Amino acid sequence: MINPLLYFLLFVKASLFSTGGLSNLPSLHQDLIGAGWAVDAQFGQSIAIGQISPGPNGLWVISLGYLTYGYFGAILALFAIAIPPFLVLGVAAVFARIARKRWVDGLMRGLSLAVVGVMASVCWTILRQPGVVWSGWLIAVGALLLAASRRVNLIVILGLAGAVGYLIYR
Amino acid sequence: MNYSQDAQPSPLVSPPPTTLSLLRIWTLIGLQSFGGGASTQLLIQREFVRRRAWIGADELLQLWNLCLFTPGINLIALTILIGRRLGGARGIVVSVAGLMLPSAAVTCLLAAGFEVVQHSIVIHAVLRGVVPATAGITAVVGANFAAPVAQRARADGPRIMGICAVIILAVTLALTVLRLSAAAVIVGAALLGVAIFTPWKGGGPLPPDAEPLSDKSSHP
Repeated sequence: MINPLLYFLLFVKASLFSTGGLSNLPSLHQDLIGAGWAVDAQFGQSIAIGQISPGPNGLWVISLGYLTYGYFGAILALFAIAIPPFLVLGVAAVFARIARKRWVDGLMRGLSLAVVGVMASVCWTILRQPGVVWSGWLIAVGALLLAASRRVNLIVILGLAGAVGYLIYR
Repeated sequence: MNYSQDAQPSPLVSPPPTTLSLLRIWTLIGLQSFGGGASTQLLIQREFVRRRAWIGADELLQLWNLCLFTPGINLIALTILIGRRLGGARGIVVSVAGLMLPSAAVTCLLAAGFEVVQHSIVIHAVLRGVVPATAGITAVVGANFAAPVAQRARADGPRIMGICAVIILAVTLALTVLRLSAAAVIVGAALLGVAIFTPWKGGGPLPPDAEPLSDKSSHP
């Protein structure tokens, strides 16, 4: 039923024209539903699983692969999201070529400032989510202090946050 | 020894890892990165910059800047660049595999057991605690990235410091309040950087001793 090659290429295409996270969702949704290889509910499930599982958020696609096409689908999805980032080697090569140009240092400086601003905006966006109330802000501050202390293992920080969530929100 | 690089743009701060230890570190990062990309980023900063001093804070930021121009998951692109920096082609393979295979396996297990997980009140409550924690972790990741930026701005004096602060604030507001597209905002900041920081007077390329980040594999 599912054409494995086409299935794989649809995942590659979605990943190629995305920037991580859920940005490949619209493309996959349109293509897989259109081909009759997925149903709506599988997307919701995949995103939920992606939230719980470790790794970058973009790995939600692996659960979509699993739910729609079993372990084979998960493997295809894994390769499909791993391939496009290799283009970074081309970006690095281009950069190496222009690195000596006078304006490149300013470009990288501007980018670095943007990165810091992006991080701040991500922080803000997370804290403005509907489910985050004042207790969530306290958890955020607590996690910040523990992570900044550099002594506490990340798993311990996340475990504590999860335990506090369990006690408050269950 | 498989980690030797053909060219050495900036010498490694401490002896580089073996392929096996690189694989081990990335596997641990992959398994511990619950809560999404911020966790992965923090673990990368902690392991490679702070604990082992294999990569400088400023260099990591430069590598991340390159990843912004790459399609797909930026963190995988960063993994590729760090892997190559520390172990060449073999370093790339073990780094990407180490980051992704354990997480992919856990994801499959969770997907297989989804019926159990789906309606679990416990998991929902735990997640509601973890999500705001990732905001705090993101703040620390951002502060770590800001450190080399701030250091350089401080050396340039109060005027440049002020300009840098304004650009950071403008990017934040453009993304949160104005909700502009991230790509447009990032390109805008880069162009602003060119306009503000480029020493236009004097002309000609940079002298060889002013060494920005350079690409390792471009010298075969």
